[in-house]
Amino acid sequence: MKERILSRVHRALEHRPKAELPEPLTPPKVSPDETLKLFQERLGGNGGEVVRLAGLEEARSWLAEFARAFSGVAVGTTLPDVLKPPLPALPPEEAPLGISWAIGAVAETGSVIVSSAEGRRLQLLPPTHLAFIPQSKVFGTLAEALAELKNQLPSAIALHSGPSKSADIGQVMVRGVHGPGRLIAAIVAEPGD
Amino acid sequence: MQVKSNDYPKESARILREEPQVRLSVTGATLSFDRNRRAAYAEVDAERWRDWAEGVKNHVLTHLDSYLEQAERTLTANGVRVHWAEDAEQAQKIVAQIARAAGVKKVVKAKTMVSEELGINPMLEGMGIEALETDLGEYIIQLLEQPPSHIVGPAIHLNLEQIRKLFHERFGTSPDATPEALASVARKLLREGFLQADMGISGGNFVVAETGTLALIENEGNIRLSTSAPRLHLALVGIEKLLPRFSDLAVFLSLTARAATGQRLGTFVSLLHGPRKASEPDGPEEVHVVFVDNGRSSVLADPQAWETLRCVRCAACLNACPVYRQTGGHAYGYVYSGPIGAVLAPGLVGLEQTQPLPYASSLCGACYEVCPVKIPIPRLLLAWRNRAVEEGMLPRFEKAAIAGYAFTMTHPGLYKLAAKALRLLPEMALDNTVLPVLKAWTQGRAGLEPSPKSFRELWEEGL
Repeated sequence: MKERILSRVHRALEHRPKAELPEPLTPPKVSPDETLKLFQERLGGNGGEVVRLAGLEEARSWLAEFARAFSGVAVGTTLPDVLKPPLPALPPEEAPLGISWAIGAVAETGSVIVSSAEGRRLQLLPPTHLAFIPQSKVFGTLAEALAELKNQLPSAIALHSGPSKSADIGQVMVRGVHGPGRLIAAIVAEPGD
Repeated sequence: MQVKSNDYPKESARILREEPQVRLSVTGATLSFDRNRRAAYAEVDAERWRDWAEGVKNHVLTHLDSYLEQAERTLTANGVRVHWAEDAEQAQKIVAQIARAAGVKKVVKAKTMVSEELGINPMLEGMGIEALETDLGEYIIQLLEQPPSHIVGPAIHLNLEQIRKLFHERFGTSPDATPEALASVARKLLREGFLQADMGISGGNFVVAETGTLALIENEGNIRLSTSAPRLHLALVGIEKLLPRFSDLAVFLSLTARAATGQRLGTFVSLLHGPRKASEPDGPEEVHVVFVDNGRSSVLADPQAWETLRCVRCAACLNACPVYRQTGGHAYGYVYSGPIGAVLAPGLVGLEQTQPLPYASSLCGACYEVCPVKIPIPRLLLAWRNRAVEEGMLPRFEKAAIAGYAFTMTHPGLYKLAAKALRLLPEMALDNTVLPVLKAWTQGRAGLEPSPKSFRELWEEGL
């Protein structure tokens, strides 16, 4: 089957002039000063929420307050211990809140990037998804983020650019259709940022 | 899938007469998609992006054999099992074998048009395997046992009232339930499906040859759930869906989203590289990619139609098309509808079965203007029309009518006489009893009322 398809493709191309591969297209860069502001603006525009935290310590106290509204949590495997809230641990299919440690974010598209190493279900099944992002990993453009990711590709890279949504019922936008209806991106600054 | 495209003239007229809400729903939805697309194109250098994307796709297509081999190598290195299907029958067999070997009882489907093309659901059901569509729109049309009417929004021909009625009858929701309430009923039912299913079947927006990446774009999260919750993931991918470099995704993912829905990126983009690793908490144990030909290599061999293989299935051409907007996709009688369907269907299944489709266009050119990979759809529509004529596929009366028209128009005396004769016909002359060949057109339309004097007569009288 493979050989027959490939030979048909090969024959189809016999007299076709070969087209050259264009050089990669590099969209305009975002200046570092603008990156965080743009991320906040774009993810906000997509229906997500953005919180900026000065460091892990501030993140911990912010989280303590935030977590009070939830009865349990599912956390990602690489989430620093300091960012695990004092809530009962639940499997992702039962947890009202999933917390992940993102491997990056993209300002121009308002996207949070989470690896499968973190766990796949916890990013999707809980109605609220909170993703912590190290500030140094907020990239200006998708092209820059992909270039960085390419060095080590996990079995699944998930880009989240807002809450789950659908307009399939009478063209009315509904949130939280299958995935989380609420996405909160918490950017954590590290010393030196 | 059964091809019913030869009924296009009758079926489109029937939809306009009998289901007027289709036109309203489809027009509303497509105009809104198109407005969003326009804004999203305006934000970037869309012309440069389109030229570049066309160039990359042309390169891939003119080197497709070597990229397919490269993709097989990288996918395999990632732990993905690669299969090849020449046609729908082979694809069905492959899916059936994998499902049987793994003891699959329930499948969740993640909105794949190729699966519709290949008739995977009926095949699974024949094996006693439940196949549950999980995209909200696909789920709704599955309940109604309808095919998709739009590549991106499969249920855009339905209005809120119709979906309320459907859910009221099936699930006992209130007859005036809000869209949120309806969606939450579907969410609950489908959530059970995701957690119970043994296998998820998806399509694929792109496969990167360099890294063996399978890229999937969506807004609901159902595709990501279908590809990460069940123990098996199988992706049906047309052989034309390749990209050379991982970096090419940056533009292609964004350009596709901008063209399709006017977003900068789909809400959920998944870049998959094989099954769950031992160190990972969850994910599918087996991942299969089935490369599907099903007519694509014949399209590639066609000196004109090969350009349709650049298509990324964004449906921007459907949204821009004043003809598609009148009827939605069902009238086209094939899984791919609208302008791209009208040029893809004759290539994939042959002109014999799809001959009316290249005529389902006013050749206004809007489809080309919006296409993210610059497929010259109007030129291809004309090419297919030419072939239909050359192959003698048009009804004999049409040829006679055109010849008669040409003769009349080149003989002024005859033209004068004919014009006079037409004006003397009784008022209802254009109803379907007098001109039965035009029945699809005249049915449901009032007869014409000719002006008492022709333009020539008025001109001679000094207007």
